[in-house]
Amino acid sequence: METQQLETQADKGHHAGNGNSALSSSVSESRRSHLLSITDSALGYTSLEDMLSELLERIRSALEVDTAAVLLLDEDRGVLVARAARGLEEEVRQGVQIPLARGFAGRVAAHGRPIIIEDLDHADVVNPILRQRGIRSMLGVPIHVQGHVIGVMHIGTLVKRAFEEDDVMLLQLAADRAALAIDNARLSEQRSVTAIMQRSLLPDALPQIPGLRFSAKYLPAGSGIKIGGDWYDVFQLHNGRVAFVIGDVVGRGVLAASVMAEIRASLRAYMMQGHKLTEVVSMLNDLLVSVGSNRGATLAILELDPEAEELEAVIAGHLPPLLIKPDGHAQLLQQKHGLPVGVRVGHDYHAFRYPFPSGSGLLLYTDGLIERRDEPIDQGFDRLLAAAETAASRSDSSLADRVYRTLLDETLLEDDMALLAIETMPLGDTLEMTLPARPNVLGALRNTLGRWLRAFGANEDELFDITLSASEAATNTIEHAYGAREATFTVRCEHDGRQATITVRDSGRWRTTRPQSGGRGLEIMRSLADDVKIDSDQHGTVVIITKQLSHQA
Amino acid sequence: MSPFNIERIDGVPIAHIHEDIDAANATATQQQLADALGPDASSLIVDLSETRYLDSAGIDMLLRLSDRLDHRRAKLILVIPDTSQLKRLATIVGLSDAIAIHPSLPEARQEAAKRPPGQAAAHPASGRTTSA
Repeated sequence: METQQLETQADKGHHAGNGNSALSSSVSESRRSHLLSITDSALGYTSLEDMLSELLERIRSALEVDTAAVLLLDEDRGVLVARAARGLEEEVRQGVQIPLARGFAGRVAAHGRPIIIEDLDHADVVNPILRQRGIRSMLGVPIHVQGHVIGVMHIGTLVKRAFEEDDVMLLQLAADRAALAIDNARLSEQRSVTAIMQRSLLPDALPQIPGLRFSAKYLPAGSGIKIGGDWYDVFQLHNGRVAFVIGDVVGRGVLAASVMAEIRASLRAYMMQGHKLTEVVSMLNDLLVSVGSNRGATLAILELDPEAEELEAVIAGHLPPLLIKPDGHAQLLQQKHGLPVGVRVGHDYHAFRYPFPSGSGLLLYTDGLIERRDEPIDQGFDRLLAAAETAASRSDSSLADRVYRTLLDETLLEDDMALLAIETMPLGDTLEMTLPARPNVLGALRNTLGRWLRAFGANEDELFDITLSASEAATNTIEHAYGAREATFTVRCEHDGRQATITVRDSGRWRTTRPQSGGRGLEIMRSLADDVKIDSDQHGTVVIITKQLSHQA
Repeated sequence: MSPFNIERIDGVPIAHIHEDIDAANATATQQQLADALGPDASSLIVDLSETRYLDSAGIDMLLRLSDRLDHRRAKLILVIPDTSQLKRLATIVGLSDAIAIHPSLPEARQEAAKRPPGQAAAHPASGRTTSA
C-alpha cells in the first residue's frame, strides 16, 4: 500500500522511553532542557486545556514546527478526541474525533508507537482539517500511562520535512513527561464533574410527611478514581404513597453518573404514571438494554403506603434492604432478587410485601457501607444488623446518622456509599399539617388522615366520610388560592375518643371573594359530616368539620 | 399519567380506575377516558370497583364525560358495587339520575351489549363535511 510505504515506523532500533542513554548523547542539551522545563511547569496548571495549550506552544517552538496537537482517548467510545491544539485550533473547536486504528492519530494510538508521515498528500488521514490547513509532514507519538495508551501527541509542518530520530525522541520525551500530568488533570476534572453531577442527582430535600422521618448519608469516594455511581431517591406518589430508591451503577465516573441520571428520571416518570413496581423495573430494564448503555445497575425500589402501613419491594441485584421492627429487632429483606437492570431484556421481577407498622425503620444502602477488604460479605451484614439494632435503641440524631456513626466506630469506609433511612412513628392524638395550596397534596392529605383515623379505631364508613369531607374543604381552599404562588393552608385534626374535629384554615393571603363553584363539594361535606361550620372574613376562611365516632378509642 | 387501565371486551372499552380521582387529575382523566372510547364503540364502561376516593371534582368529571359521550351518541356506564363507599356518595349527589350505574361488571356489560357497535356517531371531526 502506498500510504504504508510513505510512513516510517519510527521505532526502528529503539523504543521511546528505553533509549535514554542514546537520547542524552543525540539530542541537543538545550532543546532537551527546554522541554523538561515545560512539563515541570505544566504540572501547576489547574485546567487540563490550559496545561496542554502551554505545553504545545513550547513544543512548537522547541521543535520548530507549525502545528502541535493532543488527542485523548475516550475509552468508552473507542475514539480519540482533540483536546488541545496550537496552529490547528479548529481541530479542538470542531471537536474532531478519530476512531482508534483509523487515520493518522488512530494508527499511532492503536500501534502504540511513533509514526511519521513525510508527505500528507499521499497519506491516509481521516481528519480533513490537516489537509485544509496545508500540513505536509507529520510526526505523532503515543501518550502512555502505565503501559496504556491514553492519547496521541502530534506535530506538523507546512513545508515538507523529514523528521529525524532526535525529533521523535524529543516529542516522545515530552509526551511521556506530560502523560502523568494529563492523567492527573483528567482524573481531577472527572472527579469534580462527577461530584457535581452526583450531587445534583440526589434529592434537594427529603419530603415532609407527618409520621414519617427520612434521613440520608452520602459519601462520595475517599480517594483516587473510585467516583461512584451510587444514588438514592425519595418522592411522593399520588394517593399519598412514597417511593424510595437506592442504586449503584456499574462503573465509575461521568458516564456512570449520566446513566444514573437516566435511571433516576425514568423511575420517577414510570412511578408517577401509576405503574406497579414490577412493571416499573421491567420497563427500566428494557429501556437500558435497548439503548445499549452497556452499563448495568443494581437497585432496590420500595413503595410505602403509610395508611396501610405496608411496604412493597422489588430488588434488582442490590443488597437487601434492612428492616427494623418496632421491637428493635433488625432483619434483612430476604426475598427473591432479580438481575441487575440493563443486563437481560424481558427479565421478570418480583415484588414482595412487608408490614411496616408505627415504630418500624428501614435502611437502604450501597455496598460501600458494609464491604471491607479481605472480609466475607456476611461479616458486613452482621455488623450492619448489629449497628441497626444499636442505633434503633437510641434517638439522639437521625437514624441514618446513628447507623453510620455506629458502623464507623468499628471500621473505616473504603468505598463511596449511600445510606437512606426511613422511620415511621405514631401520629399522636392531635395532628397539624401545613400544606402548599396545590391539588397534588390532596392524595397525601387523605392518606395521612386515613392513617390518623385508623390509629384510634374509626370504622371504614367514618374514615371515608371524614377523609373525603376534609379533602373537599382542602380542594375548596386550593381552588381559591389560585394565583397565589406561595399559598399554604393548614389542617388540624383532633379527637377526644368520641368525636373527630378537622379544621381547615386558609392562610388568608389570597382573595376572599369566592365564586360559588364549590356547591357540590359543600353538599358532599354536609352530607358526610355531622356538622360543617364555615367562617369567612378578610383574613381567610376556616372550615370546621365534626363527626361522631361510633367506636370509642 | 393515567389513573386507569383500559381493556376491551367484545368491542366495549372498560376503564378500571385504580387511583383516586380528585382536583389533581380530574381534567386529564376526563380527556383520557373520552379518548378511550375510540371511533366506533357505542358505550364506555368506567369501573369504579377498585376506586377508593372520588371527590366532587371526580363527580363533575363523570357528568361532563357523560355529556361528551352523549354528543357522540355513546353511553357512559358506571360500575359501583353496593358495598363501595362511593355508592353512598353517588346517592348523596344523585348521580344515578344522570348516569347509568350497575353494581357489577357483568351487568354493565349486559347493558352495553344492548347497544351494538356502530350506533355511535363517528367522531364529530370525521363526520364533518368539508366546506369552503
